[in-house]
Amino acid sequence: MQRASQTPVAMASPSSIDGLGVPQEVAATERAVHAGGSPRLILCVPSLPEEVLPGLLADLATVFGRDEVLIASPDLEEPEASSVLPLTVFDGTRVRSDWVLTAGDYAAANELAQRHDAAQVILLGADVCALPATAIREMADRIAGGADLIVPAYSLGAHDGLVTSAFLYPLTRALFAANIRFPLPMDAAMSRRMVERMASVAQRQTASQPDALLWPVAEAAAAAFTVYQVDSDAPTPIPPAAADFNTLFVSVAGGIFADIEAKASFWQRSRGPAVAMREIPPAQRTESGDLAEEVPGMVEAFRLAHRNLQEIWALALPPQSLLALKKLSIAEPAAFTIAPALWARLVYDFALAFHLRSLNRGHLLGAFTPVYLAWVASALRTVTDDASAAVHREETAAAFEREKPYLVARWRWPDRFNP
Amino acid sequence: MTLLLQLVYGLRQGLPESGKEWMMGQQIEFALRQSMHRVLVVLVSFLPGLLAFLVAVILFALVGAIIAIAIRRILTTARFDERLSRGAGSSAPASLFEWTSNQPPSRLVSRALFWLCTLVGVAVGISAFGASYSSDSQVPIFLLPYLTHVIGAVLILFAGTLIARFLARSVLISAVNAQLQYARILSLGVKWLVLVLTAAMALDHLQVGGAIVSLAFGILFGGIVLTLALAVGLGSRDLVSRSIERTMERPGGPSEVANQRPADAQPPRSRLRHF
Repeated sequence: MQRASQTPVAMASPSSIDGLGVPQEVAATERAVHAGGSPRLILCVPSLPEEVLPGLLADLATVFGRDEVLIASPDLEEPEASSVLPLTVFDGTRVRSDWVLTAGDYAAANELAQRHDAAQVILLGADVCALPATAIREMADRIAGGADLIVPAYSLGAHDGLVTSAFLYPLTRALFAANIRFPLPMDAAMSRRMVERMASVAQRQTASQPDALLWPVAEAAAAAFTVYQVDSDAPTPIPPAAADFNTLFVSVAGGIFADIEAKASFWQRSRGPAVAMREIPPAQRTESGDLAEEVPGMVEAFRLAHRNLQEIWALALPPQSLLALKKLSIAEPAAFTIAPALWARLVYDFALAFHLRSLNRGHLLGAFTPVYLAWVASALRTVTDDASAAVHREETAAAFEREKPYLVARWRWPDRFNP
Repeated sequence: MTLLLQLVYGLRQGLPESGKEWMMGQQIEFALRQSMHRVLVVLVSFLPGLLAFLVAVILFALVGAIIAIAIRRILTTARFDERLSRGAGSSAPASLFEWTSNQPPSRLVSRALFWLCTLVGVAVGISAFGASYSSDSQVPIFLLPYLTHVIGAVLILFAGTLIARFLARSVLISAVNAQLQYARILSLGVKWLVLVLTAAMALDHLQVGGAIVSLAFGILFGGIVLTLALAVGLGSRDLVSRSIERTMERPGGPSEVANQRPADAQPPRSRLRHF
């Protein structure tokens, strides 16, 4: 567990969405359910199968007292039914995401916090059953202790969460000095001011896209709020099976590039490196070298991309990056390696091209996909077990920190020649 | 004119050879002077219209430039770009400004206003151009409608080229990400489909070619579609056969598979987890 920023700063009064579509009598009824005293913590769970919710509540009851927490679930139609359950539950939450938390989830959480005057909110994602009750309890304790944002660190296998390891975590660490393994959380505990801030960000998004991805870690870092992560041996939640990789990748990469662009004035100021983080051992050991056979196919796919996308890459990348990609395209599979420094520069180049709108952003992110897959091929060669995966992740993130001046220089003077 | 010809003919009959040559020179000179005079008359009647056209275009372009500068400053002061990018967030790729531009939205808005003013100037100029002619002149009757057609055709070509480039890149990137070996052919095919369609539309708008253009367009369009179909069909032969084989090998056959709920049909799980 690491502290990304030690100095909480009082933020400006957030925009209020009090009473957003909620009749006053409904709120009064729900308050009456727990008339004995309003709990300080609201725990929002998503819609779950009928037989799962009681089990989850029973688990939570082992770590929470009855009057300690108010659980908002969309599966309970009658608030009175809560009397037979181990914890107070009502039909309140509107957590809709089937993978990571989205703008709509944060807006719904803020609405609940305002209606119930809660001091803290825990948003649990679709994979809530995999998250141990003790981890949820720890998140609640941390947030009650004065932190603003707590996110769980899931167990990460050698070949899991590759997008996170490739650039989500390194970018967040290098640019926002927040050493949080999962900057795009599936579960989050937030203080009232944090949830209000996220809701104000979400409010701008929900009109156009309710399922827009938000970046709470970067948001907390920009507001100088305290951020921690809680160790959890739960596996990384997997995206919905119906989701197409290319679409998801474009959405995630576009999301973080847009966030970097929006917070450019923040990260361009000099700030120290993030505090070192303890690696969480994965629950299941990765089989060594079981994916090496996929490398030749991936290298061939990169060569195909290089043959076809050179003119598009040339619009986004500087000559030295293009040269590096050319060298990579003629490398044998046994020598196919993207050095961490090169990878960091490539990601920064794409982030800058996204900012400069060197070409259509959809096209840019589409052209970024084969480069990322080339990094995956390179990582498959390097990473054989969990230990080497941890080392590789650390090297990648450290390279992003070292190459940050490159991004800052190019961001400020994009047309200047950078050898 | 007839009288003049008779006079010249009569003189020719009664004059020696040297006199006849002198008369022919005079005749040529006369003809040239006459044609020069006619051209100068046309030019003199043409110039005020042209001048009016140029003045209108320059004036409106200047007004457009001033408006564009003012709007740009206002938008910069109001942090329009930042607000728009924050508002767009992760939906930015789908934003209106994403289509072709590599410029910030504020610059796009100011440029759009500038070009709008310039276009209005062109329209006013054409109108002034037409009004400056006398009604018996044959030039505006032919030129004016055609000028508007030319402008329309240029706009069609411009839009068509942009759309062709956008679609070609979209197809190329999607095909590369789908690891299709014939990505380049597919992209070029789509690009030329749109370009041929655009060229045919522009020529049709200019009323050039008539049926020949339609016929040529049909042949070219059909040819490109056939080429693409063959390229995709031949290139994806293995892919399609593998897909059919997989479907046939499932227990219960394809009909039973089709009736299964999506939740039951588990795709083979990839060993790599990107997210």
